[in-house]
Amino acid sequence: MANLNSKNKNELFSKIMEICARNSLIITIISLLFAISFPIVFSSQYLINIAINCLMYSVLAISLNLITGFMGITSLGHAGFMGVGAYTAAILSTRYGVNFIFTSIAATIVASLFGILLGLPTLRIKGRYLAIVTLGFGEIMRIIELNWVSLTRGPMGISGIPRMSLFGVAFSKPIHKYYVILVLLIITVYIVRSLMNSRIGRAFSSIRDDEIAADAMGINVFKYKIIGFAISSGLAGLAGAYYAHYMGFIDPNAFTFDESILILSMTIMGGMASIPGSIIGASFLSILPEALRAVADYRQIVYGLLLAVIMVFKPSGLLGGYNLKHIKQRFNFEQSTKGVDNHV
Amino acid sequence: MSDTILRVENVTQRFGGLTAVNGVSMEIKKGEIVGIIGPNGAGKTTFFNDITGVYTPTEGKIYFKDKDITGMKPFEITKLGMARTFQNIRLFYRMTVLENVMVGMHSRTKSNLIDSVLKTSKYNNAEIEAKKRALEVLELTGLADYRYNYATSLPYGLQRRLEIARAMATNPDVLLFDEPAAGMNEEETSDLMKFIRDLKGYGYTIILIEHDMRLVMNICERIYVLDHGSLIAEGIPSEIKSNPRVIEAYLGKGVQ
Repeated sequence: MANLNSKNKNELFSKIMEICARNSLIITIISLLFAISFPIVFSSQYLINIAINCLMYSVLAISLNLITGFMGITSLGHAGFMGVGAYTAAILSTRYGVNFIFTSIAATIVASLFGILLGLPTLRIKGRYLAIVTLGFGEIMRIIELNWVSLTRGPMGISGIPRMSLFGVAFSKPIHKYYVILVLLIITVYIVRSLMNSRIGRAFSSIRDDEIAADAMGINVFKYKIIGFAISSGLAGLAGAYYAHYMGFIDPNAFTFDESILILSMTIMGGMASIPGSIIGASFLSILPEALRAVADYRQIVYGLLLAVIMVFKPSGLLGGYNLKHIKQRFNFEQSTKGVDNHV
Repeated sequence: MSDTILRVENVTQRFGGLTAVNGVSMEIKKGEIVGIIGPNGAGKTTFFNDITGVYTPTEGKIYFKDKDITGMKPFEITKLGMARTFQNIRLFYRMTVLENVMVGMHSRTKSNLIDSVLKTSKYNNAEIEAKKRALEVLELTGLADYRYNYATSLPYGLQRRLEIARAMATNPDVLLFDEPAAGMNEEETSDLMKFIRDLKGYGYTIILIEHDMRLVMNICERIYVLDHGSLIAEGIPSEIKSNPRVIEAYLGKGVQ
């Protein structure tokens, strides 16, 4: 049968994907158990902090994937939205003593409002032009954070951001912070997954594949782009709020263009339009710099080389082009029709 | 309501100095199969784009079900009950056949963001309903066995058919086909002709642009002929075949 997979030279990889798709429930449960038990098994503070990074970047990569992978809108300013969320949370908590629960909600809302404000005038333009606009947005946000000293304390940054706490219990240990971001990641995965399995998600994918045809199918392309952009930037803002409370200190240097590119690299390397891909990409690029500490002097070289090698051998990203849901549906359908043939 | 479903009045489309469509008027009745023919570059597809809202006509008015739709957006016109296919196939290529048709169902289902995330019963019912109707359309178009394949993996003739299926899923009254038989072999074209006749049986009004004269002359009840953006003839197939202006447009003037 001719499908997207058979076009891929890597038969073995396709086979593995099929096995993964068929056992997706078991794999999900195992990954969850692993994620939950990780900080218990590895109690080292260092390892837990790396794991927190993996999870936080997973949220960011998935949120970016929502517009870049699922809708085909490349953003070079995603860290800008993360920064909006982080500053919202930092300002609310340091000046008004607002709890993490509410700062994170506020950060999500404010960041999605920024997404809508940026989207309204710009989402009618396409492709690389829009990418440049988002790049500009990221830089503008950074410059505002740097210069609006009365609000953001400029280059001094905001310090003393209170710890996350819930009902008076402060999450002071890394293990607590780990579980908070794990919950946020699960929420993010759940939201993006649910969306993609609905008519809204189908509208997103159709816009990515062919805007003119989507329009002709009765889809208000502009409206759905705004919706996608708002959700994506909102989730980035959520990750930003977590970042602020986790670090206890933020300054404009945390939300630079480099950061946006890092998130984009994670999304692309993990695979467009793949949620597990984004988690793998984010984890890989979070762990890699740490794993390369052994070759300290050559770290950047090895890092760059590895990225280049991956993109040469798997340009669509690790899981790019593999929609596990489609593979599973097709497999089940083939099995069911085979069953019918046998009985007749 | 009159039995006229689509009325086009003096539509002109200019691109800078080029007049692609020049003062074209037509009236389409409910349940008709109407053909639009003409040499390459006659402005047929531009005319389609005017009707479906891709372009806004420079001059003229378009009424669909007695409602002025001039200047409306494509998605708004689709919601009113007009759906189209494209000259170069425009499928959603990273989506399955079933999903392609379910996209067509978009404006017929109503679950919103909150419903989708919270998986309310409204969402569940909408999903079940959309899938059920999509499968009905796929059964009707003979694509049900391919439902979980990617749209691009279909053979060419079936891709064209999927475009029609997707258009049907929007629950239209009028279907516009832009060269549905382009690139098809004899057998595929015959299948298509039978299929379009079946569609008329389901109550659709069909307007099609086509170069395949066998198809046009066999299934169209009325034909409009465009040349250099202007309407040069209108009538039943036998009239069109013998119309000297049409022959001239296609073959050129005889040498004196």
